[in-house]
Amino acid sequence: MLKAISRKANKALLAKVLAGIGGFIAAAISLGYSLYEKRQADIIPQVAAAAPIEAGRWKVSLNAGAIGSELPNGSRVSSGKQAIVIDMTLENLSAESSNIYRDLVRLQGIPNPPMPQYYLVRDKDVLWDMQPMMPEAVKAVWQVPADLKLPDVLKVKVDGAQFKPRDNLYAAPGWFSSGSVAQVALPLAKTPVVTEIKP
Amino acid sequence: MRIVFSIAMTIVSLAVLAALQATTPPYAMLTGPIKTTGRQADVVAGTMFSARVKQVQKVRTLVWDQFGRAVERQSSGTWVVFSAELQAMRETLPVRGATVIGASGRLYRQSRRADSAPNVLSAKLVQPGLPTTGIFIFEMPEEETRDMELVLSRQYGPQLEDELGIRLEQNGIVSRDRLEIGKNGL
Repeated sequence: MLKAISRKANKALLAKVLAGIGGFIAAAISLGYSLYEKRQADIIPQVAAAAPIEAGRWKVSLNAGAIGSELPNGSRVSSGKQAIVIDMTLENLSAESSNIYRDLVRLQGIPNPPMPQYYLVRDKDVLWDMQPMMPEAVKAVWQVPADLKLPDVLKVKVDGAQFKPRDNLYAAPGWFSSGSVAQVALPLAKTPVVTEIKP
Repeated sequence: MRIVFSIAMTIVSLAVLAALQATTPPYAMLTGPIKTTGRQADVVAGTMFSARVKQVQKVRTLVWDQFGRAVERQSSGTWVVFSAELQAMRETLPVRGATVIGASGRLYRQSRRADSAPNVLSAKLVQPGLPTTGIFIFEMPEEETRDMELVLSRQYGPQLEDELGIRLEQNGIVSRDRLEIGKNGL
């Protein structure tokens, strides 16, 4: 009788110990995996300027950077601002016309960077949709405060997007952000500042 | 015996459930457009509006007047200009969504580079009883024009609404070096 009880207690204890070990293993795997992922995410390949970068939905090469006071369409930036202009070649690799390139290139080391405005070099006009398989020379413009000290070499990250044939909500095809795919160190050339003519 | 039977039943029910899941139409398809297709020679009619493509032109340079100044637009591919006639059935509606499915299956929306051109149909309203003519302008690589289907809808991404698909004849396409778009069409 006593023996039976002690065997039962032993069995219960064993089960608890096993469950505890299982829990610890699960926690260790999860921690290890998240550490591994974090490290992987930190390793973003460094790409030379003007080299083509495949970012899922877009193929982009960042050719040159400049600081100026004139926009690619010929107009002046608003007073108290300066423009960071990046020359690039942009191609839409997706199967559909798209204008979702605003989050593609992100400036590093600039506090609260504004949304860039893209211009098509061919038209000297604002860029709208990019058609598939038609690479174009474009310029992206970020207008930042004129008193902001800009570095000589600007660090830029390129964010990728990944295609899912069935998304989790509507089972519809779509493009989803997949984190940074490349970073580029881009020298910023200074174009002569045009003095403002007051009317 | 009983165990074998229950294992078999489990496998069968798993197979049935997997088949059901794989064949369930997605939400996007259930609420998708109601498509009507036709050939270029015919008037393609849905329930809301009908369309007929009159002419297709491939153009190197597009020219038009904007605020008295000539605007010239070139493309690394080619411009494709459709002249079409639209008719609304019951109510006034715009036809803003126009896409060309190219030879590779890629979707080319109307070019926004040319949306200030006169007589563009997506900027017009179609009134019932009044046939409305105008143009749709696309920009695409040359090789995509070998096989084209024009897809028209009230707006892009129609849900439970008309979508007209018009298959285009290859031998009717006119190639031009320069096209001037006037106020009264081509």
